[in-house]
Amino acid sequence: MRKPLGEFPSPFASGNLISRARVPAPQMPTHVETLGNGLKVILRPIPDTKALSTWVVYRIGSRNEVPGMTGSTHWVEHMLFKGGGKLAKGDIDKLISRLGGKMNAFTDTDYTMYFETIPATALDTALMIESERMRNAAFDPKEVEAERTVVISEREGAENQPDFAVEEELWGLAFHVHPYHWTAIGYKQDLATLARDPLYRHYLRFYAPNNASLILVGGFDVAVAMQHIREAFGRLQPEAPPDPLRLAEPEQRGERRSDLERPGPADLLSVGWHIPGAAHEDTPALVLLSTVLGGWRGFVPFAAGDWRPRSNRLYRALVEAKLATDVGVRLESKLDPSLLIANATLAPGASLDRVEAVLDREIEKLKRAPPPKSELARAHQQVRAWARYEQDGVTFQGMLLSAGEGLGAWDFAEALLAKVEKVRPEQVRAAARRYLVEAHRTVVRFHAQEVPR
Amino acid sequence: MNLPDRTVLENGAILVSVALPSNPFIAFRGTVPAGVAAEGSEFGLAEFTSRLLLSGTRRMGAAKLADRLEGIGATLEFRNGDEVLSFQGRCTRETAAETVRILVDCLSEPAFPSKEVERIRAELQNDLRIEADDTHHRAVREVSRLVFPKDHPYGREPKGDPSRVQRVRRGDIVSFHEAHVGPEGLILAVTGDVDRALIDEGIATPLSRLRGDGGAEAIPPPRPHRPGSVRIPMPHKSQVDIVIGAPGVPRRHEDYYALNLANLLFGRIGLYGRLGRNLRDEQGLAYYAFSNLDARTAGGMWTISAGVNPSNLGKAIESIRAEMDRLRTEPFSLEEVRDGKENQTGSLVVSLERNAEVAGELHRMEYYGLGMDFLERYADIVRELTEERVRNLARKYLLPSASSIAVAGPIGRLRVPW
Repeated sequence: MRKPLGEFPSPFASGNLISRARVPAPQMPTHVETLGNGLKVILRPIPDTKALSTWVVYRIGSRNEVPGMTGSTHWVEHMLFKGGGKLAKGDIDKLISRLGGKMNAFTDTDYTMYFETIPATALDTALMIESERMRNAAFDPKEVEAERTVVISEREGAENQPDFAVEEELWGLAFHVHPYHWTAIGYKQDLATLARDPLYRHYLRFYAPNNASLILVGGFDVAVAMQHIREAFGRLQPEAPPDPLRLAEPEQRGERRSDLERPGPADLLSVGWHIPGAAHEDTPALVLLSTVLGGWRGFVPFAAGDWRPRSNRLYRALVEAKLATDVGVRLESKLDPSLLIANATLAPGASLDRVEAVLDREIEKLKRAPPPKSELARAHQQVRAWARYEQDGVTFQGMLLSAGEGLGAWDFAEALLAKVEKVRPEQVRAAARRYLVEAHRTVVRFHAQEVPR
Repeated sequence: MNLPDRTVLENGAILVSVALPSNPFIAFRGTVPAGVAAEGSEFGLAEFTSRLLLSGTRRMGAAKLADRLEGIGATLEFRNGDEVLSFQGRCTRETAAETVRILVDCLSEPAFPSKEVERIRAELQNDLRIEADDTHHRAVREVSRLVFPKDHPYGREPKGDPSRVQRVRRGDIVSFHEAHVGPEGLILAVTGDVDRALIDEGIATPLSRLRGDGGAEAIPPPRPHRPGSVRIPMPHKSQVDIVIGAPGVPRRHEDYYALNLANLLFGRIGLYGRLGRNLRDEQGLAYYAFSNLDARTAGGMWTISAGVNPSNLGKAIESIRAEMDRLRTEPFSLEEVRDGKENQTGSLVVSLERNAEVAGELHRMEYYGLGMDFLERYADIVRELTEERVRNLARKYLLPSASSIAVAGPIGRLRVPW
């Protein structure tokens, strides 16, 4: 619970009132309205559904942190389960548990989101929790201290996995100026020293109706829901809008490399290339480039579970060739320019040099010739199918809308899919030539050392 | 949700289905009784078999198989388990028949190419190494081994060990597949964008073509548990994983529902029940501290898991013990039991909102013989549980002296106070 979230590509146009059915899935009307205090409300009623998923997404993530305060956004997220206002400590748990509901929260680099999925009859409970959470969290100093060791424990649990070290090294090396330099969990030394008051100020500054969107998906009537939402949120006061982030990562001029030598079970390779922000016109081509190279698992990583694609170039070149036992490609599209990452877990006896050479060869092939039409058709079909699979239930639908909204527009996935449909093979090659460039890449190699006994 | 449909096909396979029209695709989950329990002393065969089912059939090589599935946007996975070989996937109305045809081909006519056997061998060796480096996995495996001793299928590593993985031969895999994978004992649960015609023509028809042997063999009851304590030093790690466990009950045991409610209150509800409230919320010792009740055909196990900084190891273990002792000195209150019951009855709506969840539940209903009306009856089953029974079963099963413990991580010379 309350783990940093995987990342999503970003949205484009903001919608109003009616969604555009660009996917070959059933049309889902969506009502969008903004309250007087700036809270944007996005309602997707699904008739005959007994469950309701309520999401609030705040436009605050680890990209809004500064050195010395890394991890503060995630820590704030933890604090927002500890009561305040009408809610005593433990009340949120109790209220949702009694309903048989589920809840969680996620801190990303670009946004933070909270949800409850409950029986639709309990709409007011979810609205009350989220309304109190938005402005009235307690930040009891004793609770802040108790949570310090919890977030450190969360980080230490991640540190037990070698791929966490690789991930942290990759982002730290690829970004020297922009806050994507650190991951959402933050540095342990900051977590050890952060004080209560700066955390609380961080909360007050960014948790306001005009910096948030409320999303409802499930069994409800739009007019009734809007009335209850106005009652729960209408009185909350807005804050001055947050300043836009001024930090921009300068162009990388020359490959960056790091070799980690630590105890571990297998060598790992991670390569990240700089890509533009999600709203860029090349993102649809990058979606297909990523799919051809490493397969597609949807815009929101949770829906795919452990399923791994096999009909892609890296799987063929590395796993089927017995050089790796696992490969993956992630298009980490974000608000700001980010990374496309290829990862490999090496097979016993395979060398990092060899795996890297094969990866280079596959990248060169993509630059040399556009993917054949049949291969691109398969990639299109995967992206299209996942657009449906990600509509699995009210929670995932709420997550998809919220993630899109956190990056700028709730209908991001639908809009992007429509653009992906139009991508031609030559555009995939052009994207490979433009972005999969040696001078713009960062390479992290994990050399597994013998595990001490 | 309407009552599910249940059909027994001519070849013996059982098909259960229910329509969820609001979810615009189809999810399926199925099993055949070809898991660890079926491999006898030939450890590792079930794992090899499950991993090789996507490695090509008599008609298609591995690459073509992947191209066909992903070309229609379908997903298909096979996984080995203690009792069964399971499979699951997603497809759309339009691609359902093709997906089930491919599933049937994979189950009935796998080619087990030698090259792929060797690839899987290397993959398994790597996975065993990765798991051996995972603190939680190591602790869970040790506790499972103690709770289900003498190489019981529930207690042993499903992948076998490195030397066994090295020795498995293609012929052994072919024989295992022929003996255990067929329509007999197969259950397929399907949910989502389906209707009667699609089930009959798109799914039942191709599934009924599945031929082969198979059928479930009885899983022996586990031998008695002798509590033990295992230390697994892993000095290169940041965090220690603690796992404590003891025998539970089979899924059809009369104690199951009351024990399940006790487990919910002890270490699951909200932010991990009493356990989470103590270790995480009040003391800040752990990001996770929860309990789990695993109930299978011939036995079960309940476990407690927590991940802590090594400096907090003693304190965390003592706190867990104190919470177990508290079940005797301060049993669950009326309010706690009431909250737990409300959670379990209310969760029916929430836990069945996704296709994948419904397919999983449908499958469980058939696999454990709970009846197709189980979801209709579930709320009454929970409501009828008495507070006294829940308290008594918590006292009976969650007992420190009857539990084993394993700790894995940078423990050095730290004492394990258990």
